[in-house]
Amino acid sequence: MSEVILSIKNLSKSFGKRKVVDSLSFEIREGEIFGFLGPNGAGKSTAIRSMLSLIKPDDGDIVIFNKSVRKFKNSALCGVGALVERPDFYEYLSAFRNLSLLAKMDNISQNRIDEVLKIVGLSERRADKVKTFSQGMKQRLGIAQALLSNPKLLILDEPTNGLDPRGMKEVRDLIRKLAQEGITILISSHLLHEVEQVCTTMAIINLGKLVKIGSVHNLLNETDTFITEIKAEPIEKTRIVLTSLEYISNIIESDGMFKVIIANKNLKQLTRDLVKADIDVSAIIPRTSLEDYFLSLTGDSI
Amino acid sequence: MPLIIWGFSKGATGIERDLVHQLDGAFIIVGSVFNGFLVTYITMNFLWVHIPFLIMLVAGDVVAGEGAAGTFRITLTRRISRFQILIAKLIATYIYTIILITFFVLMSLGLGSLWLGIGDLVVFDKGILILPQEMVWMRFALAFLFATYVMIVVATLCFMFSSMVNNGIGPIIGAMAIIIIGLAIANIPIDIFEKISPYIFTSYFDIWQKAFFDPIPWRDIGNDAIVLTIFTLVFIIISIVQFIRKDILT
Repeated sequence: MSEVILSIKNLSKSFGKRKVVDSLSFEIREGEIFGFLGPNGAGKSTAIRSMLSLIKPDDGDIVIFNKSVRKFKNSALCGVGALVERPDFYEYLSAFRNLSLLAKMDNISQNRIDEVLKIVGLSERRADKVKTFSQGMKQRLGIAQALLSNPKLLILDEPTNGLDPRGMKEVRDLIRKLAQEGITILISSHLLHEVEQVCTTMAIINLGKLVKIGSVHNLLNETDTFITEIKAEPIEKTRIVLTSLEYISNIIESDGMFKVIIANKNLKQLTRDLVKADIDVSAIIPRTSLEDYFLSLTGDSI
Repeated sequence: MPLIIWGFSKGATGIERDLVHQLDGAFIIVGSVFNGFLVTYITMNFLWVHIPFLIMLVAGDVVAGEGAAGTFRITLTRRISRFQILIAKLIATYIYTIILITFFVLMSLGLGSLWLGIGDLVVFDKGILILPQEMVWMRFALAFLFATYVMIVVATLCFMFSSMVNNGIGPIIGAMAIIIIGLAIANIPIDIFEKISPYIFTSYFDIWQKAFFDPIPWRDIGNDAIVLTIFTLVFIIISIVQFIRKDILT
């Protein structure tokens, strides 16, 4: 098994009386593209800012490359590149000049600036002021600054936020390319399809707590028929029958359609029970979307 | 400044009449008391409010502005420490302050002496004092040196507020309010204010004026400088502690 390069242990942070991150623990292993998933306000950005020492946690610790961020911030973050939310640069300076300022802070050679600009496809625009850049280009420049120090771990907080579909695809392709080069990547997002498309592992958090963690493949398999849509008549009778079935939970009715949570093994039994109760079944549709799974885990309506 | 100097060059008979009136009977005035030195001495009163305001515009925004712009999300995740970033910004603020005062010197003393000429300087120190021309350059050098020091205290105060918030306006208003209230306490001769006055830094803002006293009160100047240094250090320490502990949420 590959080495753990980031470990979060019982991380907690409150703002006033509101607990934003609550005893959060997970690990990221070398080579993973780790999706950090949660609805808006789940505590993703707070956790990420804590990882990068932008926020001081109330409790817990973050260990990166076997060094505590709390105690040894500079050495712990030595192999980390990060882009937290939108990339804000000095707009009146060129892309090269912005990166040059950051490179000086990290004692990085000026040659590396050209390398990272090439990686993100901004070499041609190196001398242009950042204020002339599109949002997608700024995002790529944001990733470029994160790559400056040749990081082994790249932390990207909502990297496709505010981008048009083309920009999103560009960033996703870039992330895949970087992962192929051996960089471990943590991506936070509230966009499930993004995580589905890019990540190998994911953690779902809600209200600051870890809800689920595992490989995206396994979690997707877990979602098979987890949520099922049923279209049947008469509606009143269907409702009574569904309510009486012990293996069904979370029955929600809307527009003549029922949505229920049901285990995979009970699907055939459901069909039999509905037919046996003399109900006309038009459709039983197992939904395999990660989105539904996510919503069910985060306690939102299915 | 050029506008003011031009105005003086066109005549300031009201001010001149007042000055000469006070000297009347004691001296015979030949020519005009107005020269580049006197204009500079008069315009140095900008050091109370105008120059501090120009300093605060930058000092108030130097840290808070970056917070508001979100650039700290990138710079504070580098290998450099927060302490280093803050000290770099403080030095930049001081450099700006020194450049601003230098510009003020060039525009007032430089332009004034070129435009209006030089001569003896008539100043007020518990009465009229006439400083000979050959002594005046050194006095102005001292005065601007002290003024720079006072402005550094102002810059540090505003910088301290700037390190606490993410909005450049707040530190400017806060520091300006403190200076105006402080100057009121230092200058209004009310019993309670006179008791408080030694403990507030604005009471030592007139240190530059002491460069024109005769003899120069070095002991007073030394004491004032020590008090101003203590205030500056306190402001710097508060800034550092505040900034290092600050959560970057913008």
